[in-house]
Amino acid sequence: MTCVYSAIMINLFIALMFLTGCEQLEQASSNSVLKVLAGSELKDIEPMLETIKKQTGVTMEMHYIGTLDGAEKIVSGREHYDLAWFSHAKYFSLLQDENKIIHSQEKIALSPVIPAVKTSLAQQWGWVNNPDVTWSQIAEKIKMGEFKYAMTDPTASNSGFSTVMSVQAALSNAGDALTAEDIDADKLKSFFSGQSLTSGSSGWLSEAYIRDQNKLGGLFNYESVLMKMNRSGELQDPLTLIYPKEGMVTADYPLILLAKDKIEPYQQLVAYLKSAEFQTWMMTQTDRRPVNTTVALSDSFPKGYLMDLPFPTSITTVNEILFTYLDDKRKPSHSYFVLDLSGSMGGDRLVALKQAMVNLSGGDSSITGQFARFRNREQVTFLPFNQDVIEIRDFSIGKNGLGMQKIQDYINSLKATGGTGIYSSLKTAYQQARLAIEKDPERFYSIVLMSDGISNEGLSYQQFEQYYRQESDYLANIRTFPVLFGEADQQEMDNLARLTGGRVFDSRKDPLSHVFKKIRGYQ
Amino acid sequence: MAGRIFAPLLTVLLLGGVGTAIYLSVTEQFQSMNQEKIKGVSGSEKIEFFHDTETIAALANTPWNLMAQVEKAGSREIASYNLSNYDFAFPAGVPAAEKILREQNIKKYFQPFFTPMVIASWKPIAEILIANGIVEHKGNAYYIIDMNKLISLMLEKKRWTDLKGSNKYPANKSILITTTDVRKSNSAAMYLALASYVLNNNTIVQNDQQTDAIIDKLASLFLRQGFTENSSAIPFQDYLTMGPGKAPMVMMYEAQFLSEAAKENSAINSDMVLLYPEPTLFTKHVLIPFSENGSKLGEALNNDETLQKIATQHGLRTQNIALFRNFIKNKKLPVPDSLVNIIEPPSYEVLEKMIQKIELLYSQG
Repeated sequence: MTCVYSAIMINLFIALMFLTGCEQLEQASSNSVLKVLAGSELKDIEPMLETIKKQTGVTMEMHYIGTLDGAEKIVSGREHYDLAWFSHAKYFSLLQDENKIIHSQEKIALSPVIPAVKTSLAQQWGWVNNPDVTWSQIAEKIKMGEFKYAMTDPTASNSGFSTVMSVQAALSNAGDALTAEDIDADKLKSFFSGQSLTSGSSGWLSEAYIRDQNKLGGLFNYESVLMKMNRSGELQDPLTLIYPKEGMVTADYPLILLAKDKIEPYQQLVAYLKSAEFQTWMMTQTDRRPVNTTVALSDSFPKGYLMDLPFPTSITTVNEILFTYLDDKRKPSHSYFVLDLSGSMGGDRLVALKQAMVNLSGGDSSITGQFARFRNREQVTFLPFNQDVIEIRDFSIGKNGLGMQKIQDYINSLKATGGTGIYSSLKTAYQQARLAIEKDPERFYSIVLMSDGISNEGLSYQQFEQYYRQESDYLANIRTFPVLFGEADQQEMDNLARLTGGRVFDSRKDPLSHVFKKIRGYQ
Repeated sequence: MAGRIFAPLLTVLLLGGVGTAIYLSVTEQFQSMNQEKIKGVSGSEKIEFFHDTETIAALANTPWNLMAQVEKAGSREIASYNLSNYDFAFPAGVPAAEKILREQNIKKYFQPFFTPMVIASWKPIAEILIANGIVEHKGNAYYIIDMNKLISLMLEKKRWTDLKGSNKYPANKSILITTTDVRKSNSAAMYLALASYVLNNNTIVQNDQQTDAIIDKLASLFLRQGFTENSSAIPFQDYLTMGPGKAPMVMMYEAQFLSEAAKENSAINSDMVLLYPEPTLFTKHVLIPFSENGSKLGEALNNDETLQKIATQHGLRTQNIALFRNFIKNKKLPVPDSLVNIIEPPSYEVLEKMIQKIELLYSQG
């Protein structure tokens, strides 16, 4: 027996020595595929995946998701991942509680989440090259109505999340980590009243900002995204990046080991991702700051250190901050749902639609499900349609989910029958929303359009477009988020999203309930 | 079966990368087939020592013939592991070790290394603290920080902007030492031990009555920090990469700093300084064997001068003081080679009780 071992070992050993000596074959010795759940903003690493594989022998199989969603998904243990790679691991660490899910973590890059102000405004306010600008001064500009900004939904995207944490810490003027008592309701409400554009992702926020730049004074986003925007050539008024004196929250992109037995390929990856080669690439191509101190920070970054604000101690405090933002502090929404109830929607499709809507009205008790549901002060209008709008039903949501049962009952009563008149129905929704804005301008207005087929009744897409363009002065703040479902016309839905500044969500692969949850970040 | 032998060989190659493969001569590799593979779990601060190709080679040599595969864990978390799968545990800190010894009903242990607790900081911060009479620059070489003064400042909830000369660090944040999570990590528990000594009128806390009198103050030193990490490696990483904006004072092991400072492309720059607390305490690294090979490793680390030398290169102090003196002299590190006013942590029971009480305060938010 021993003899056989030795023979095998010697053969293997010789093979191995050969392999390590030969660079091209080296990868074969350790080629492994690691399943990575990653924050969607890390998509910009993709051009390097081949090189990473070549240098380490490790294939990173990337699956993208939002930070909080991702944390919940991993902690739930429903699906196996070897690694996680998010903009930060704090929420995740707090959520894992006593279960040891994080076996190792190494920070790979840095990018602070900061305010950016149009340079014309920054000049006017004396904020150019001024290291003393504070969150309180920003709050003051908002209060006076001089600063309207874009920010992502903190429960859907980390840049919004980090901004909300910074604003809370800075405006409370607490020197220590926040507790729930520190939160000054009026100051926060005033601060968030300046939010004029919301989004479920940091990337889309910058695109939407570019479209609406004439109406906004700036935005909160990663330093890396803001630097890229300034270089894009698409800004009429470039952004001045502000590093508030009280501090900020910095994304540190930890690569997290979840599968203990993958420690070796994990270490290979970490070694390469922290190498001067990769860190330099990342700094020059994605504008994130290196963590490898042998890589000098390029001149495009300001000198000096980043002042950090403390992060809460408990998941309870963090969630409370988020719920308070959603229920009391942010501008409330008026969400329109234009839902296809034509004959083809019968059976499983209607069941899926009902489930998705019931989830939003309290049926999903997961923590991200609770974040995504209809909020206190929200107005929800349903416009179910077949050849035309069947009816218009308004619902108001109160504290503690008041009014949601009514929505559930209503949704469960819907039946599918008849033809498909998408654009006449959408026009009705716009007419409704326009009237509502006149009465109550301090809200976010948006339309979700869900259809499983091609419009065959009423207005054509071209006729709708004509209407929209004629009225665009009044309609421009009402985005449509079309959901691709069944046999929907992708081309037309893409055009519609572009026309109205919305975004298409594909529910042909992803369940409707996931898609509707995601869309909530945009409402 | 072959896979089982192939795997450890692969482990060595992967851990050290190509460097290992080149470093180890063919003969040594052949010897490695006779090595006994042992598995252990250690605090994160000693992982680099075990991954060092020199350590791997020294352990592979006769008489040890060992190949150690070491997983990292928060020292205080090790006790909760299923330890029957391991040959040894190597936590940092006597309290964490004591917990394992008691729960596993083991008497034998080794204490091959120790390291003092230090506060990693920056020159401008040290200068502010000097201006306020809290820090002293001893012989222009190293810094001593008066823990009695510092802790009272922290308990008064002073902010950096309240200090004289704070324009060098104009932070509106409270003055606090950044630590790891005291529920999970030894370095924070050591800070707790130190702070409890100071608050108990510079005597070791010995009973509930003394604990109760100071527990709220002690807890505030941790709770007010907000989110803390589970392992001492992370605040150190932050210290190296994020500058004083993240944390102006970080409680850590001297060995972490020295080990990095001794590296060729060290991330330590001339602005980074160590403040030596007065009083301070040592973290003893305690190896607890669960098997004969585990004991053999303990003996190797205790007695093998080559291994002690490597440990010294990783900033750890051993019984052999001359090795450490040589190391700091060669690397020109501004470090005191002996420390005065070293205290002992409270007994295991007292310290555990303090931590449990703080844990309760955490859960109350």
